[in-house]
Order: sequence, then C-alpha cells, then structure tokens
Amino acid sequence: MIIGIGVITFVLRFAPLALLARLELAGWLQQGLRYVPAAVMAAIIAPPLFFAVGAPNIVPDPPRMAAATLAALIAWRTRSTLLTVVLGMLALWALQALLG
Amino acid sequence: MPQVPGERAEFIDGLRAFLPMSMSILPFGLVCGAAASNAGLTTGQSLAMSWVIFAGSAQIASTQLFAGGAPLLVILATATIINLRFLMYGASLSQHFGGLSRRWQAAIAYLLTDQAFALTVVRRSARPEQPHLHWFYLGLAGATWVCWQLATIAGILLGSLVPPSWSLDFIVPLTFIAMLVPLLATRALVFAAATGGSAAVLLALPLQLNLIAAALLGVAAGMAAEKLGGGR
Repeated sequence: MIIGIGVITFVLRFAPLALLARLELAGWLQQGLRYVPAAVMAAIIAPPLFFAVGAPNIVPDPPRMAAATLAALIAWRTRSTLLTVVLGMLALWALQALLG
Repeated sequence: MPQVPGERAEFIDGLRAFLPMSMSILPFGLVCGAAASNAGLTTGQSLAMSWVIFAGSAQIASTQLFAGGAPLLVILATATIINLRFLMYGASLSQHFGGLSRRWQAAIAYLLTDQAFALTVVRRSARPEQPHLHWFYLGLAGATWVCWQLATIAGILLGSLVPPSWSLDFIVPLTFIAMLVPLLATRALVFAAATGGSAAVLLALPLQLNLIAAALLGVAAGMAAEKLGGGR
C-alpha cells in the first residue's frame, strides 16, 4: 500500500514537470484541477465533525461543530495555522467542559 | 551545497522562506505520525509513509481508510484523487524548471508540496529575472522535507502516549481548515468546498468510496459554478 501510493504520488509530481515542456494539458482538465484541493480538503474536514470515530451513523457533535466554525473564522481573519489549531483546540475543550 | 555565490544566496533565501511555514508543517506532521501509529501501522511502516509518500493529506486519508478496513484499490484511488493537484502544480512549475536536467526534475518532483509550490510561484513573480530559482526551491523544499520527517517521527513516538479523551484527533480537521479557508478566493471555489464537504457527510457508500465521490462531486460543482459566472 505504502509503495503503491508512493509510486503514484511521484508519477503525478514528475510527469507534468518532465513532459509538459512539449505537451499542453487540455483546458477542461486544467479548469477541473483548480477545484481539487478545495473539494478534497472539505471532504476530509466534514466527516469528523459529524461522526464519532468509527460510528456509522450521523451523530452531530455540537462542541466539534462550534469549535470548527470558530476555527474557520480565525483562519479567515488571521491566515495563521498555529492560531487556528491552538485556539480551535482550546475552544473544543472549553465547549466539551461546558456542554458535557 | 551550491558553490556559485548567486546560487548559494538563492538557497539561503529558500531556507529563510521556509521558517514561517514550519508553523504549519510541524503540527500537521505530528498528527500524521500519530495517526499512522494509532491506525495499527508498525513504526517502520509509519516512517516509510513519510519518506516514500511525503504528502500529508494523502498520508492522513490513507491511514484512516486503512484503519477502517478499506480495500487496497480504494485506498490507492483515494490517494490518487487527493494528489491530482500535483499535476496542476507540476504543469505550472514546468514553465520554470522544464529546461533542467532529469536529475534536478526528479528531485524537484519528489520534494513538491503545496507550500513549496505556492512560495516558489510568489518568488518567481517577485524576481522574474533571477536565474537560480531551482536553488531557492531546493532550500525551501529540502527544509520542508527535513521538518516533515522530524515532525512525523515525533508524532509516531508521542501519539500512543496521549489518551483519546484529549480529543487531539480534532487537530486533523483544524489543520485542514487552516489550509482550506485561504484557498476560497472565488464563489466557485466556495461552492466546490461546500459540495465536497456535504457529500462526504451525507453519502453512505460501501468500501469507503465516500471521499472519492465527494471530491469528484465537489470538482464538478466548482466547474459548473464557474460556467455560471461564479469564477470571481
């Protein structure tokens, strides 16, 4: 598994760099690739806000959702990863203590 | 180390550009290492992930899928989708690095990350005439690599010591929030993210295909929104 992912990742990184001096990516492909990071990151963020780890059913977790919303605001205002992570974590602990 | 003074100056500027970034790479690497060891990978396997794959988002997603018992093909397909963005980065960097030797290109490709790409593009637009951009890249991306390896090792060692009641797994979505929010520069991008996020929660697909489906739906939504005039 690790080697497989490693090979795929390297090919994706190397191919355009080595070949694109001669080849041009199709326009629709370039357009679509612009949306991959945003779509993927959102898809990774969202589920742990709703599911307890390993649970199959949608169980909203209010402290996590509130802390994540606050963290998004902090990220938007400060653009700082460190502040987002530290304040988001503190917010989660405070909310968990308050809401039980 | 480079010998020519201009190359050395560029290399050192690359190292300098890395410093503020270490603030985002350190916590993310810690989380990646901890997630790998908590998912049941051996210490050797967890270490190998960081130097063989060297891509945080794909490492996190594949460890989570592995822990959830997803089939190998689904894990590989998910990692491919997540790393498709490197095609875009490589295409953009080939304008600057297309004329270098194959050895340089292989090194640049292996070290390619979101952060190295973004800062190199910024550097190029600030100094369009500078001929040693690849040395700047090597300083920046090389320092990133070292920092990533140290952070994941620390995560592997410390991860199992922290009790689950501390909810430290929440650092994963937090680091992604910090990376995602600054990306949302247009309405089409916001729409792509909103669609991807909702789909990942609402879809209940077998074999943990959720992430792939959600990512593809998000991309389609972003492209559709751009067609309808949301590209600004």
